Amino acid sequence: MPCIWQHHGEPLRADIPALYIHLPFCFHKCHYCDFYSIVDRDSQRHAALVDRILDELAYYRNRSDLPDWRPRTIFVGGGTPTFLEAGELTRLLRGLAMGHASSGPFEEFTVEANPETLTDNIAELLVECGVNRISIGAQSFQPELLKTLERWHEPSSVRRAVKIARAAGITNINLDLIFGIPGQTHRQLEDDLDRILDPELSPTHLSCYSLTYEPNTAMMRRLELGQFKPLDNHTVADFYATVRQRLADAGLKQYEISNWCKPGYHCRHNLAYWTNLNWLGLGPSASSHINGQRWKNVPQLGRYLASSGCPPRIDIEHLPSVARIGERLMLGLRLIDGMPQSIVDSLLNEDASRRSTFDHLIEIGMIERKQGHYRLSEKALFISDTVLAELV
Amino acid sequence: MNIRNFCIIAHIDHGKSTLADRMLQCTGAISERDMRNQVLDAMDLERERGITIKASAVSVNYVHSSTKDKFELNFIDTPGHVDFHYEVSRALTACEGAVLVVDATQGVEAQTVANAYMAVEAGLELIPVVNKIDLPSAQPEAVAMEIEQVLGIDAQECIYCSAKTGQGIPELLDAICDRLPPPRGKADALTQALIFDSEYDDYRGVIIYTRIVNGKLKAGDRIRMMGAGRSWQIGEMGKFTPQMTPFKEPLEAGEVGYLVASIKSLEEVNIGDTITLDAHPAAEPLAGYREPQRMVFCDFYPAGETQFETLRDAIERLRLNDASFTFQPHHSEALGFGFRCGFLGMLHMDIIQERLERESKVNLVQTAPTVTFEVLLNTNEVIQITNPADLPDLSRVREIREPIVKVEIITPTENIGDLMKLCDNRRGVYKSQQFLSESRQILDYELPLSEIIYDFYDKLKSITRGYGTMDYSMIGFRTDKLAKMDILVNGMPVDALSVIVHRDKAPTRGRALLAKLKKEIDPHMFEIPLQAAIGGKVIARENIRAMRKNVTAKCYGGDVTRKRKLLEKQKEGKRRMKRIGTVDIPQEAFMAVLDFGE
Repeated sequence: MPCIWQHHGEPLRADIPALYIHLPFCFHKCHYCDFYSIVDRDSQRHAALVDRILDELAYYRNRSDLPDWRPRTIFVGGGTPTFLEAGELTRLLRGLAMGHASSGPFEEFTVEANPETLTDNIAELLVECGVNRISIGAQSFQPELLKTLERWHEPSSVRRAVKIARAAGITNINLDLIFGIPGQTHRQLEDDLDRILDPELSPTHLSCYSLTYEPNTAMMRRLELGQFKPLDNHTVADFYATVRQRLADAGLKQYEISNWCKPGYHCRHNLAYWTNLNWLGLGPSASSHINGQRWKNVPQLGRYLASSGCPPRIDIEHLPSVARIGERLMLGLRLIDGMPQSIVDSLLNEDASRRSTFDHLIEIGMIERKQGHYRLSEKALFISDTVLAELV
Repeated sequence: MNIRNFCIIAHIDHGKSTLADRMLQCTGAISERDMRNQVLDAMDLERERGITIKASAVSVNYVHSSTKDKFELNFIDTPGHVDFHYEVSRALTACEGAVLVVDATQGVEAQTVANAYMAVEAGLELIPVVNKIDLPSAQPEAVAMEIEQVLGIDAQECIYCSAKTGQGIPELLDAICDRLPPPRGKADALTQALIFDSEYDDYRGVIIYTRIVNGKLKAGDRIRMMGAGRSWQIGEMGKFTPQMTPFKEPLEAGEVGYLVASIKSLEEVNIGDTITLDAHPAAEPLAGYREPQRMVFCDFYPAGETQFETLRDAIERLRLNDASFTFQPHHSEALGFGFRCGFLGMLHMDIIQERLERESKVNLVQTAPTVTFEVLLNTNEVIQITNPADLPDLSRVREIREPIVKVEIITPTENIGDLMKLCDNRRGVYKSQQFLSESRQILDYELPLSEIIYDFYDKLKSITRGYGTMDYSMIGFRTDKLAKMDILVNGMPVDALSVIVHRDKAPTRGRALLAKLKKEIDPHMFEIPLQAAIGGKVIARENIRAMRKNVTAKCYGGDVTRKRKLLEKQKEGKRRMKRIGTVDIPQEAFMAVLDFGE
């Protein structure tokens, strides 16, 4: 399949501030995970993947319509990036850094890590390659809940990993936490929050997700088979309220439906998604968004590796402007501070029916105006999908 | 030519259509290869539901097995469902005899009795047939005794057969030739032909099913409909063999066939009207039929993407095919512009709704069915309303009267107690009780029609574990302590949910209705109060709590498209509902009115 830009003959001429790299290798598939990941210890395939990703990067770098392109943020996710053999990981990270015109540190360069796989060695290596932010999947500190998630790590390993990262000089640390796990009690949630907020951990950034049963995951199959009872909506809503209260009390600012940070530590890379900027994704199954066009690289390692230059793409979308408006609202209103009034007004000016829906949402107290921004009200945060569905 | 015109009447599911198919096969009218189940039921819906909706007619030639005389047998298949009484009555007047089919495993049922009485009243000779004798649970002799006991026909006259295996079919065909009278009427008299059915064909227009009573008719004749007073030219005339087969020679007195005359709509043709020749008209029309009586009414409103005009076109198209339902434009405060439609009964209503959705792909909201009420105003004027929302202000109303029906139930004796309780709950008045056999009884009640149109039949079936059957007929209007109950959703009265109820039952009905609504309406972003009120006084209330949680926790680069599609789907789901004020109400909720709170 030809490259979509080539296909449309459109020059890129895009400002692409965010670069995402997808490394699918993992040593185990957690049951809630719906990312493209594969269990593969074959070091030759690891090397081939690194080669191919750098080749894909070179393809974009060599495009005449992307002169002097240099992203502001890089995010290496997966899978488990730190599962990659150390030498290959170094080659990849160096290649990413070197592949761009001017040198110097990136504004934000994040690598996801599994608490078990982060060693002193790897942490130092990350720093050497310019990585300045690390994201660690803690999920929960309750062994039985980790077991429900089929997540294989010792709760204590999270503290160890954070210590290792800090010792290596990475101070900007994100932890992922999941709540609303089947069987979870309010006390267990409080305990997880206690541990997260303990000075020994006390991350600069926290992603706190209510467990989602994604289609085509083991978790969903087990749910359908009745192997466990999901928590009811009211309990999960209460949990969310607790999370918000406890984190606010601890001085963390909620800036997105599921994200909190210490002042100034927003994840700049993820903000590119929510503010609908352009981003480029490399690697199998990675998504990209450039000027209203979205696509996904082929989500099969073999087919990805077999290609060269621009890889095969799926889910290619060129949204009509009316859908783009809905999408911008859907994404932008996930931010707690909302969207600047001027932007919203300019979006709605073209669309009278959406404007009246928007006004109705203000009227019933779902959207409020504050400090020059439109944002979801506190009530609406709990039912954001219902509110945003009105606007897509 | 010896002609025998007869129909087949039976209780639903007693094997009438199968018997007709088997008779077609035995007379060689259709080959083994073409034989599919229920040949006469042409409509998909009929075959799917295994019921006959419209009557069909067929002409076959038969050679008597012992006398070797040649006969032309015209037989007419009739619907067995209680809603289609009228279609049965039309078919009966075109015949001299009737084959009364009774299931050897079920025995005499309510509609066996009702149909048999109708046939006797129409002066028809009856041949009782005990069908399904091949089944292990068959009790042919006992069933024959029931027929004798209830209908007064000698059990000796029963013919035992199995439409499934073909056993007894030649005996039945011989009996039709031997026992049924030949048609009366003269071929040399002035022409009188009875329209006993009609159907609409997209290419040929209306096809009239007719029985020549006197005189003759042929293609090319200019005919006059004596009732409607309009004239047409016959383009094609013929017989059903069972396919429509054009005949050049005239059809004569006693024969049954069809004619096509470039008639564009079923509305132009009145069932029961008399056809005569335009040039030599008969002095008088035949005794006509009554107008079909619409017993049940409901509204259809366009929903989702469907527009009012699209729905109107769909209804008009369907009306070409089925003149037995009525429709008129109607405006509801809550639901906007739609149509108020009248039906023969509940099944008829279901069929029309399903055909609209299936054949025209329209999206519609159907309100709960109601009956016709008579309202006596202070001015002594009597008006009829078919919609509770049309009830005039109570200060102008002296009396509200509702339709009452006579219900005849045949049931196993052991269920009599529970059935009487059901009838009493539905404001029934006990009339009589009679033994049919040792184990079965006939129970007669008078009930308000509004109490039986919805789930009464289902309740009867469940109480009697499927063995009970019923039939009903209208006996008139009666006054009672009736009032209009309004339903308010989020403070707004929803006229389509208004219902006329008995005052004593209003609180129970109100609570049941609100509980049902609460179940059907999804939680919204805000709390929704539900209220039932009579004349401004709230008699029941409920609350739908605001939605508590509906959040996409993770939405990053790779999730955007899928999440957007999910939200679009949510929105699409709502679009199929009716938005009243700020509340989205699904179609099912409009049927909540039917919950009786038992």
